[in-house]
Amino acid sequence: MKTSPHILVVDDEPQILRALRTILTEKGFKVTTASRGEEGLTLAAADVPDIVILDLGLPDMDGIEVCARLREWTQCPIIVLSVRDSERDKVAALDKGADDYLTKPFGIEELLARVRVALRHSARTKGSQVSLVIAGPLTIDLAWHVVTRDGEDVKLTATEFNLLAYLAANRGRVLTHRSILTHVWGEADADHTEYLRVYMRQLRKKLEADPERPQHILTEPGIGYRFIADE
Amino acid sequence: MRYLLAFGLIAVTTAIFFTVREVLDKTLLALLFLLPVGLSTALWGLGPGITSALCAFLTFNYFFIKPYYTLAVHQPVDLVILLVFLIVAVVISQLVGRAQAGLATAKAREREATQLYELSTALAGLHDDQTIARILAEKIQMVTQGEHVAVNVAAAQPFTFDLPLDAPPPPRRPELIIPIQAARGILGEIRLWRAVPAILSAERRLLQTFASQGALALERAWLAQAESRARVLEESDRLKSALLSSVSHELRTPLATIKAAVTSLLSGEIGWDSSARGELLVAIDDEADHLNMVVGNLLDMSRIEAGALRPQKEWNILSEIVAGVLVRMHRLTESHRLEIEIPDDLPLVPVDYVQMEQVFTNLLSNSVKYAPVGTVIRIHVRVQDDSTVHVLVSNQGPLVPPEHLERIFDKFYRVTAADRVTGTGLGLSICKGIVEAHGGRIWAENLTDGLAFNFTIPLTWDGAPPPRLTVESEAE
Repeated sequence: MKTSPHILVVDDEPQILRALRTILTEKGFKVTTASRGEEGLTLAAADVPDIVILDLGLPDMDGIEVCARLREWTQCPIIVLSVRDSERDKVAALDKGADDYLTKPFGIEELLARVRVALRHSARTKGSQVSLVIAGPLTIDLAWHVVTRDGEDVKLTATEFNLLAYLAANRGRVLTHRSILTHVWGEADADHTEYLRVYMRQLRKKLEADPERPQHILTEPGIGYRFIADE
Repeated sequence: MRYLLAFGLIAVTTAIFFTVREVLDKTLLALLFLLPVGLSTALWGLGPGITSALCAFLTFNYFFIKPYYTLAVHQPVDLVILLVFLIVAVVISQLVGRAQAGLATAKAREREATQLYELSTALAGLHDDQTIARILAEKIQMVTQGEHVAVNVAAAQPFTFDLPLDAPPPPRRPELIIPIQAARGILGEIRLWRAVPAILSAERRLLQTFASQGALALERAWLAQAESRARVLEESDRLKSALLSSVSHELRTPLATIKAAVTSLLSGEIGWDSSARGELLVAIDDEADHLNMVVGNLLDMSRIEAGALRPQKEWNILSEIVAGVLVRMHRLTESHRLEIEIPDDLPLVPVDYVQMEQVFTNLLSNSVKYAPVGTVIRIHVRVQDDSTVHVLVSNQGPLVPPEHLERIFDKFYRVTAADRVTGTGLGLSICKGIVEAHGGRIWAENLTDGLAFNFTIPLTWDGAPPPRLTVESEAE
């Protein structure tokens, strides 16, 4: 039997630690907790976790720096926690290598969903890539560059396809504006959020049943986009 | 000049009288000669009067007393006439001259009084020390015709008002410096540069009166300012207590629900699969969200108050923002009918995505709160004169009395009694803060069938118009 995944939670609020330890243990995870950044880094080095849940507001060091220090030696998924209105911090953490974020207060279902996505993504990057992504009526063949909706071919421009392919390859995960722009348009256009806005609208028109109520290409306000696929 | 005129008058008189010298009696002539003397004094003052008296005496003697053309006098009667003439002429001159001088002084006094009156009327009711300094300088300039006037005021931030404007004072010591002196010390000084004509003591006196008028006006202005500062402090104190009472009420209401629900669940008296259990849990979830919203509103408000609300502008698609808000609020808005009208070709708008969501969320939740269930809520967006986006969020709720229309954007301001509708009373003032931080304007108006919120957002960003992006059309 596969051992239960190991989660390291770094947060300075004892109540949050207590609640998360209880709930996650109940859900079958092995949970380690730390209340300071340095302590978290030490624990992570001693027993490499499968996933790190990291609060950005730590007393001893900046959560963004903890992210960067972890990324120096491990690719284990990091989910950052922060309060509302700190979009800039969230984006900075995500651009420094964090995989996803949650805004406090959050529902436990949301956290578990993020954890599942992150674990699957890290499993995918280790194993072989799936080239076919299915999202409701959509199938996206990343190898053959074919997109169908209800079985019919959807005509996409080259940029539209690159954009969709990047989203689909990272299904379930939040992608920052910068990371999408850098990946699809290149480093020079990393600040042109307006490209994204216009192309995302175009993609939604072609792919979503109701472009005003998208089911697959979701906007993460102030952060970026997230693609939701069937798993 | 006046002496010459007096002299001329005597000459003319002499010339006229010379022709009738033989006809008229010299006593009568002497009397007639008093006329130009009195006239000279009346017209040109005491000095010319005396001069003309002496001239008249000499010409009378020379031309009209025999022997003619000498100053010698043969008849004792003539001597008496001459002497009496001289005395009378001088006395008349002096009397008339003194009356004249008295009149001139009275006129000068009257002018001073008028100038003072004008100054004090101009200064009355002023609450701004800059304006007081300006008016003081202008009046002094008008009265003295000085080369340069500087009024220096030792306020918290001392300043000097110069006349003529933009001209530096002459590079020499001013001819006159008068302190602006009040009971509690020197409030500033008046400096006057005027080399010619030299400053008269009357002018100095007048300017001293001006200075004390200025001192009074300055003290009055500063007192008024201090009073209004005190009022502002008092107002902010009042706001703080309003905040505290609103906050404690707003925080306690959801907490009360949560506490009641949790304790009844803990008591074990509610069956595991009863519907009550599910309802209690939903209530806890809802109220926790509500608490979170209240805290968020408070944070937003304090950020706006502190001027720390800086929009992270990006070129955004307004319909994407509205769509996101509608999806998130669908549970709240499903009790109303929504009509959204956003042109498909609306240009990109330079806004902070998250803050703009907040504006739409607050306006919608306000509309949902006040408009009756089942009525229509409209969002209508259009471009106005090429440089502005105009957004209208209207509902079919109760109208707001016109005198409240502006105040509904004030903090904690409610048209209805506070306990009838829940909320922090901050939603609309947050909207106002965000819209204004974007360089736009927000206002409310009564329509025939409901209330409309309007706001505008500039389409340009640092002067740059919205980028026009065309999506490439070639297919893969």
